[in-house]
Amino acid sequence: MKGKILLVVLLILSVFLSACTCPNCPAKGQPGVSVQARAADHPAVTEQEKLMPCFECHKEATPEIYSEWFESGHGKGMVKCYECHGTYEDMKAVPYMSVCAVCHSGQFHKTVDGKVCWECHPVHSFTVHN
Amino acid sequence: MGLSRREFIKRTAALSAASYVGMHLPFSLEGKARAADADRWVRGSCRLCGVGCRVDLGIKNGKAVALRGVPESRTNLGYVCMKGMLFYKILGHPERLTKPLYRSTKTDKFKEISWDQALDIAAKQFADSVRKHGSDSVAYYGSGQALTEETYLFQKIMRGGLQTNNVEGNPRLCMASAVGGYLTSFGADEPIGGYADIDQASCFFIIGSNMAEAHPVVFRRVMKRKLDNPNAVKIINVDPRISPTSRIADMHLQFKPGTDLAILNAMAYVILEEKLYDEEFISNYSTFRQSKKVEVDFDTYRKFISDYSPENAAETCGGNITADNIRQAARWFAKSNGTVSMWTMGINQRKRGVWANNLIHNLHILTGQLLKPGADSLSLTGQPNACGGVREGGGLCHILPGHRLVKKEKLRNQVELAWGIPKGRIPPKPGYHTMAMFSAINAGKIKAIWVHCTSPAQSLPNADLYRKGMKREDVFIVTTDIFPTKTTELANLVLPTAFHFEKTGVYGCTERRSQITPKAVDPPAGARPEVWIVREWALRLARELNDPVIKKCVEPFIGKEESFDLPKAIWDEYSQKLTKGRDNDLRGATYDVLMKMADGVQWPAPTEEFALTGGTVKKFVRGMDPMADSEARDDKPYQFYGPAHPDRKLWIWLRPQQGPAETPDAEYPFYLSTGRIIDHWHTTSMTGRIPELMRANPYAFVEINPKDAAKLGIKPGDMVEVKSRRGTNVLPAKIYEGPIQGMVFVYWHDMFEDRMINRVTKDAYDPGSKEPEFKICACRIRKVSGPKPLKPYIVS
Repeated sequence: MKGKILLVVLLILSVFLSACTCPNCPAKGQPGVSVQARAADHPAVTEQEKLMPCFECHKEATPEIYSEWFESGHGKGMVKCYECHGTYEDMKAVPYMSVCAVCHSGQFHKTVDGKVCWECHPVHSFTVHN
Repeated sequence: MGLSRREFIKRTAALSAASYVGMHLPFSLEGKARAADADRWVRGSCRLCGVGCRVDLGIKNGKAVALRGVPESRTNLGYVCMKGMLFYKILGHPERLTKPLYRSTKTDKFKEISWDQALDIAAKQFADSVRKHGSDSVAYYGSGQALTEETYLFQKIMRGGLQTNNVEGNPRLCMASAVGGYLTSFGADEPIGGYADIDQASCFFIIGSNMAEAHPVVFRRVMKRKLDNPNAVKIINVDPRISPTSRIADMHLQFKPGTDLAILNAMAYVILEEKLYDEEFISNYSTFRQSKKVEVDFDTYRKFISDYSPENAAETCGGNITADNIRQAARWFAKSNGTVSMWTMGINQRKRGVWANNLIHNLHILTGQLLKPGADSLSLTGQPNACGGVREGGGLCHILPGHRLVKKEKLRNQVELAWGIPKGRIPPKPGYHTMAMFSAINAGKIKAIWVHCTSPAQSLPNADLYRKGMKREDVFIVTTDIFPTKTTELANLVLPTAFHFEKTGVYGCTERRSQITPKAVDPPAGARPEVWIVREWALRLARELNDPVIKKCVEPFIGKEESFDLPKAIWDEYSQKLTKGRDNDLRGATYDVLMKMADGVQWPAPTEEFALTGGTVKKFVRGMDPMADSEARDDKPYQFYGPAHPDRKLWIWLRPQQGPAETPDAEYPFYLSTGRIIDHWHTTSMTGRIPELMRANPYAFVEINPKDAAKLGIKPGDMVEVKSRRGTNVLPAKIYEGPIQGMVFVYWHDMFEDRMINRVTKDAYDPGSKEPEFKICACRIRKVSGPKPLKPYIVS
């Protein structure tokens, strides 16, 4: 189990550290992970545990990410993890950009070609620009 | 940083208490992922709270597949909350009601019947009741979620057809005190300004509102204003419970429940003491009132307010209230370039809710924080059409369409003339208000009631008492709804209706804004729009009672196609004939105009030309409000033409502190308060069926202050009994520095009997507004066990 949790932590860390070439991921030189990182990569949880908010574990498992989110506009405005990432059955470590468009459709269409939202607006803290 | 399985489970038990008992919650973000694939997008309003967010519904192959906010909408600027972004999943939900269901006795099982049979039965039951027991033996209980066209048509049939004013709705439970406050302070219902003021305000006074969870998209706008101007903008949050709303506050005033009127009077004290009032504004536009008929002078008010020094108030209010922070709050409020107050149920659901509303308005009148950009006294509405349909459309027992009072003969006659029915047809006596209506059911005085789009079996306070009456076999209950609820469980006849975007109609949100939502997809086979149901029912009633006047009430609508032409004809009648010359003049807000506007029209909007500009941003201001010009009596820039104040003034009220109807004692030593949570809305009949939302908050908790929990030996997740003089719940504990010490707090959405907190709340109500005091009663708590398996529950 420890190994699986470690794997998730590494996957999430890799948002900051790695690059990939899938269409939904950041451009070359930008942080990102594969969209393949999803439910199967999360530690198995019971049906009971699925009824807990994600942040209850991630406060300790990934405290930096939790803090960035909590202090961000999304955190203050109570935009919760599942709104972007989904949860266990179809969790996406890197959400589809269309998720952003639900609220930010005005800005969505202004996105620079070939770039994703979080290339300029850092993930989880979502300050205006990098 | 990693977490062992053992630690994980340990914390799980500590935090959530609950094991899981077999409920499948399929989770999918498919809709969002497919957003870009929609064939077409249809613009309408969100179905849930009263903010009035505009949304585009994505349609593919005739089915709703996605939803997104509308950036050019002035209500939400493109943003939606998690409930809003997911409500499209209700369209086409597999648990939707699709067949009329009937049983002659409430112990029988329902059987499916045809629409003809169902409408015949509904007409016969109401007609029999009128024949045998008189017009006031029948009633309609509606909803702030019904379209304006629906509420208007229901009340027309009840008043003009069946000759009873027994027309009520659930806004009585949430907004009636706000109505009373606006009418008695400003002479006219509904706010003067709106959301646009948020973007220019320098001070926000948020009292009795956890808007971060109950109105997330408006909260976001306040939050943005604060984060963009962290030093220039001040936020004061006043609440016995520290909530997510408190996160952006500069000052949180936490007080003993029921002492809010003392805080508000103490702020007025400081405003007088430090001469922070606007003398010119007061002298030009206001008077002081001890009662409706007794006007007093400034000195009398000053003497009255002298009892409320900040020092005295701090002693009354307890909590963290000090004389200094009351003074600071008053200074921020009075001295800012623009102050916006916002409140909801914490103020309205009080034994003296109208008085509490008056005292907020007092602060604005005294300081002149009104009518200018960035200043308003803005009551946030809980439901999407409590304002438009119920407050404006005549959906309460004492009001007729167009803000007319039932008791005024001249106004009744105007309505009768507009409807083409005989003068005197509408009875002069107001009907039963909500609590009286359900008491009358208990007493066997009401024999047939139509409950539309709401679930009083769960949402009334002291619910067990009123469910007894609803279980009586001599009360015939018709319900119109999209899903089974705690109320359909007590009905004789359940009629399946079309949902939002499956029919056409208008919602009017918090800021006097009317917005249309057109039909975008077909309802499930078998479900019908309510306007069709009411028309067909009325035609049968006319035959049953051999009464041509009933037929006359629906004559303009006969033969109209039900998804667009019929609601349009109803809206045309209402807006053109019933709002003409009234303060909510909507003649310019025709379907044609509403379909052209991204975000509807703010009334008054007497002409289409003006409505196409968006309507009136600020009421009563000459140059902004066409009625302020047309109704002007002098050259002053502000003209208060509201129907309730013949003197055309704003009234500053002398309202003393008054506590709740029930306070803690040795037997029941805690205050109990209830409220909302971001993932759910009302009784969860909708949000509980959206797996993402249900999983996010699967059941209600009782929040307990850590100091109280320690004294009672209660740990996170323990099962705790919450008992009042009326009923008992058993809920998992959340130990949280939220509620003030001596108070517990329970979310009210849960349908499960043991967690249905309205079985515990008290049914005392405000003598003016008749709104119940959901927010305060006395209870006791005790640990009954450690964490227990729990199951999310929805009526099936």
